[in-house]
Amino acid sequence: MLPIVAYTDKLSVAAGETLSVMASSFGAREYRADLRRIIQGDTNPEGPGYKDERIDLDLGGARKAVEKRFFPGSCVIVPAQRVLSGLSDFTIAAVVRPTLVDERERSIISLPGFARIGIDGEHFVAEAHGHRLEVKQPVNTGAWHVVSLSFSTETGSLTFAVSKDNEAASEDVKPLVQTAKVAGLRCDAKEVVIAASRGSDGRPAQFFDGKIDRPAIFGAEISHDALRRLLADFSQLARMRSLLAAWDFSVKMTTQTICDISPYQLHGRIHNAPARAMTGWLWKGQDLDWKKRPDLYSAIHFHSTDFYDAGWDVDFTVSLPDDLKSGVYAVRLVPDGDEEAAYYCVFALRPPRGKPSRNTVAFLFPTCSYLAYANHRLAMDVPGTEIGMGRVVELDRHHMFLQSNPGIGFSVYETHDDESGVFHSSRLRPIVDLQPKVKSFLGGFGSNVWQFNADTHILGWLDAIDQDYDVITDEDVHEEGMRLLGQYNVVITGTHPEYYTRNMIEALQGFTDRGGRLMYLGGNGFYWVVSFNEDMPGIMECRRSEAGIRPWEPGHGQFYHAFTGEYGGLWRRNGRPPNHLCGVGMTSQGFDICEPYYLAPAAKDPRVSFIFDGVSADAKIGDFGLAGGGAAGLEVDRADQSQGTPDHALVLASSTRHTDIYLMTPEDLLDPTPDWSGTQADIIRADLTFFETAGGGAVFSTGSIAWAGSMAWNSYDNEIARMTSNVLRRFNDPERFSIPEHKDS
Amino acid sequence: MSRYQLDQSDLQFAREFLADPVGYHSPGLQRVLNRMRGADWACKYVLVTQERHGRWLLGKMPRKRGSEIEIVEGVVYTDLLDAERDIFRRRWQDLTGNDLNLALQNAA
Repeated sequence: MLPIVAYTDKLSVAAGETLSVMASSFGAREYRADLRRIIQGDTNPEGPGYKDERIDLDLGGARKAVEKRFFPGSCVIVPAQRVLSGLSDFTIAAVVRPTLVDERERSIISLPGFARIGIDGEHFVAEAHGHRLEVKQPVNTGAWHVVSLSFSTETGSLTFAVSKDNEAASEDVKPLVQTAKVAGLRCDAKEVVIAASRGSDGRPAQFFDGKIDRPAIFGAEISHDALRRLLADFSQLARMRSLLAAWDFSVKMTTQTICDISPYQLHGRIHNAPARAMTGWLWKGQDLDWKKRPDLYSAIHFHSTDFYDAGWDVDFTVSLPDDLKSGVYAVRLVPDGDEEAAYYCVFALRPPRGKPSRNTVAFLFPTCSYLAYANHRLAMDVPGTEIGMGRVVELDRHHMFLQSNPGIGFSVYETHDDESGVFHSSRLRPIVDLQPKVKSFLGGFGSNVWQFNADTHILGWLDAIDQDYDVITDEDVHEEGMRLLGQYNVVITGTHPEYYTRNMIEALQGFTDRGGRLMYLGGNGFYWVVSFNEDMPGIMECRRSEAGIRPWEPGHGQFYHAFTGEYGGLWRRNGRPPNHLCGVGMTSQGFDICEPYYLAPAAKDPRVSFIFDGVSADAKIGDFGLAGGGAAGLEVDRADQSQGTPDHALVLASSTRHTDIYLMTPEDLLDPTPDWSGTQADIIRADLTFFETAGGGAVFSTGSIAWAGSMAWNSYDNEIARMTSNVLRRFNDPERFSIPEHKDS
Repeated sequence: MSRYQLDQSDLQFAREFLADPVGYHSPGLQRVLNRMRGADWACKYVLVTQERHGRWLLGKMPRKRGSEIEIVEGVVYTDLLDAERDIFRRRWQDLTGNDLNLALQNAA
């Protein structure tokens, strides 16, 4: 377990800037902090050995470790601003599609201290000043219901009605109605909470799992039948004289703002980033793009497990010295003197803003991919992951922490408790797998490291060859594009740069188009579309539409991102196949063992002789490594001209077989037959690929996540590391590359 | 739920696994492993790391997120391949009701 966990307010910071550290005790009494430069994080005894460097910077002495907690669950909070004060006759209504009922109490809409409509256990309930009404029929998850609670002073009737939409139009909707005689009611609520209520500690509580559409409040009793007609037409609704508030979730969908269409303008805000741009009550497949018919996307899907910003108090801030060189660093927190239990808050120290550093090589720290996998629970939640691993699941200490603390929030590999996909991942919370030393599920037999810790094999190699470099992050490239990339001769990727925003992929393409040199030292790169939100820093959206190896789909009609309106899914389906950028594209995955590459005739082409300088002429390369014992594997890419690999690209070497754990990707497996596996299908391979670009640049792609695990073999003294160094040396030479006039020239 | 159920005819694949637990497997062994490693939570054994690359406990993964991982008392591994073999034997027992070592002896 982890006695202390923490996060920083940024993953990218420049020298001279400050970083805030938020920590929480999970058993620690006190802790001390220091600053470390991370050089090589893999602790495998077969590897080069763990290595970091202590930075001489006083971060203070012992600090008390204060316990803080996670508070997941999304909702909408609307300050009532006295509009509801004194309300006596009223109707509260909403259209809802619950997706999960269990033993918990949940609120659909609440006026804390006055009234609520919700689900307690398996039944719709409503309460007003202690009077409780319950519909006996169990909630039907997956169906739309109109729910309303109304009161008339004149009759003294408190009426709760629930009507479920029928699939067949020929059947009349028959509301279930419960009533009670009540002497009188008077509203003293100061706010409206949608999809939750307020707990006794003042925090949002009773979270709802499911969709809510067009909640509304009226200052009069309205019959349920009339409500159904009114709610279906916002323009009529807005003219209703008794209307006090009606929230149209289709307005300002890309923001945190919730808009009231009534003249009282009781606008609110979302809390913990629920999913917006979701199909609403009136969506019947009329359109699939919310930008064309936003009115049909008037629902929000709330989850009791949504999480955006942990919001912990700052423990201390770190001022990064002006002379600290760019690199990957960690604020290390050592609890109660136990260095083995230290927690590492990893971040990138980027080059200074607005002025070029002297370095001509940049390591592109793939923060989007780290965010996508942040706190992932693949082999814990998905039992079949073990089949894809081809070996037993190892749980490291951080996995045990995740199991005990699901409130920390999920990665975009998980599903919520209602089994709908997790669209969002945030960095404003501890990311316990973004640490050195940690083991993973997918890293292959051997080191079994993944994402950040696997990428430290590349950092360790840069250190071993004494190469000066800057570290820049995905978020930096997203914000600054070519203004930042243009400073470098060479950009080196991580082992698995899978998640890209449009800004990022266009900037990197612009870089190679303009003479930049790209070393793609990974597999399954540039695969999924992700987006950031200008109104919510630090959170990322991913909607896995149509194809790709994916743990869930976003649901019918919900393939467009809420943050940007972009079509979610694979860049391959969005006009930016990775083959355009790096010559190869994802073809298969398996997480057991890896293979060598076998040289192709193109390896003898004079255009690539620099790559093989000092490398033996053996036909087989990379038959060793810390990741599965070979340089080709885990996730592998193939060159494919039909997907955009340039005609003049050279495939220098390929793996020639993999285990039958390796299967075809869904986007290529159009007609499933049992021969699409690693021992049978030639298409399942890693292609080591090189090509020049028109602007004088060049691209070197390994098409394999395992490559870096071989670089680190034998303390970076091997043919894979040597080839990689050869490429870096030539790529860092400004002399232009030229595209050959003919492919065979 | 998996359609495939293990029986005596799978003993040849058990021998194959015990000889070489990680890597290339025959289609028959792969089918056995798919049954053992798939969606059946009843035999979801996991290794709980005590020392990275050196020492593991045996655990059973609960179906429910947030529930405690059950540690199987008295089982410690210091080699991953030994762990693979032991977990295979346990799953064989769970899925067939028979002791694998005995079954292999009887079939010899």
